[in-house]
Amino acid sequence: MRVLLVDDEKEFVTTLAERLTLRGFKVDFATLAHDALALAEKNIYDLAVLDMKMPGTSGLELKGLLQKIQKDLKFIFLTGHGSEADYAAGSSESACYLVKPINIDILIAQMHEAVKP
Amino acid sequence: MRNDAMPVQYDVIGGAGLRFFGKVSASITHELKNVLAIINENAGLLEDLSYAAQRGSAIDPDRLNRACLQFTKQINRADGIMKNMSHFAHSVDAFDGQINLYELTALVANLAGRLAAMRKLTLEVTPPSTPVVFSGNPFLLQNFIWLCLEFAFTATAAGGTLLLSPAKDDGGATLRIGGIDGLDDTFVSQLPAGSEDLLVALGATVSADYHTKELILHLAWRLS
Repeated sequence: MRVLLVDDEKEFVTTLAERLTLRGFKVDFATLAHDALALAEKNIYDLAVLDMKMPGTSGLELKGLLQKIQKDLKFIFLTGHGSEADYAAGSSESACYLVKPINIDILIAQMHEAVKP
Repeated sequence: MRNDAMPVQYDVIGGAGLRFFGKVSASITHELKNVLAIINENAGLLEDLSYAAQRGSAIDPDRLNRACLQFTKQINRADGIMKNMSHFAHSVDAFDGQINLYELTALVANLAGRLAAMRKLTLEVTPPSTPVVFSGNPFLLQNFIWLCLEFAFTATAAGGTLLLSPAKDDGGATLRIGGIDGLDDTFVSQLPAGSEDLLVALGATVSADYHTKELILHLAWRLS
């Protein structure tokens, strides 16, 4: 599975990418929406894992922009917020919505679930 | 100690003040969640590497060291966040406390830093040439500065810098918030809800310099 991770917290996204790579996933990551879109122009992904709140472009906005490039892309949202409004927004817009700090086993189970045909 | 302004201050704290406290708490919670997420991933990585080593894989000592440095870095980051939160939380205790306007402004700028970053804005606080110290209600003043920043965030284009400059003036003290691109003569109607009540409770006024794009808070308070 090829995964695009996007989160403005660099230390978080790089370490999560490393851990997923150790588990056999092919992972690219970006800390800015602009860089994520550039990666999606170059590579085909099965799944994007997006932070909900990022400077400039929100996760929901980025989802729309990525879908214009890859319409079949699946999504999982991550967030530091645990508000009901965020949960409602994330749950309706994606396959899954996880609150940080995340359990990597749960994330991986949700990733497999998200890409099921 | 009680004074005549207290009933008004209690009303404002119960309205605008509670909303302000909630917003700051939510923002700090979000920042701490990010710190915990980084610590969690680095702890998980150490676990992954340990598991791999038990199965005979070589471990890169530099990688272990980098993960350990992240723990220290994130603990220091969390400590800074909690110190700000502690200063902020205790500001509710004092109705007539001693205020250093530069330190108070810097604290609000720190608390609002994440929200500014979300809008790709930078906050800078300039120290005054001489300390500006007076007695007053620090919580209400923080609340009003926060509301001014909320307005400034919506009126400033991404990539901008908001410059906060406290200073003494003839009748007390001023705080200038410069760099607000979209500042025009409608600014009073655009200030967030609760601003008017806060100005009354603080005994302060606000004006704008459209030429320099500055919002100016005037505090006619007795300087120490």
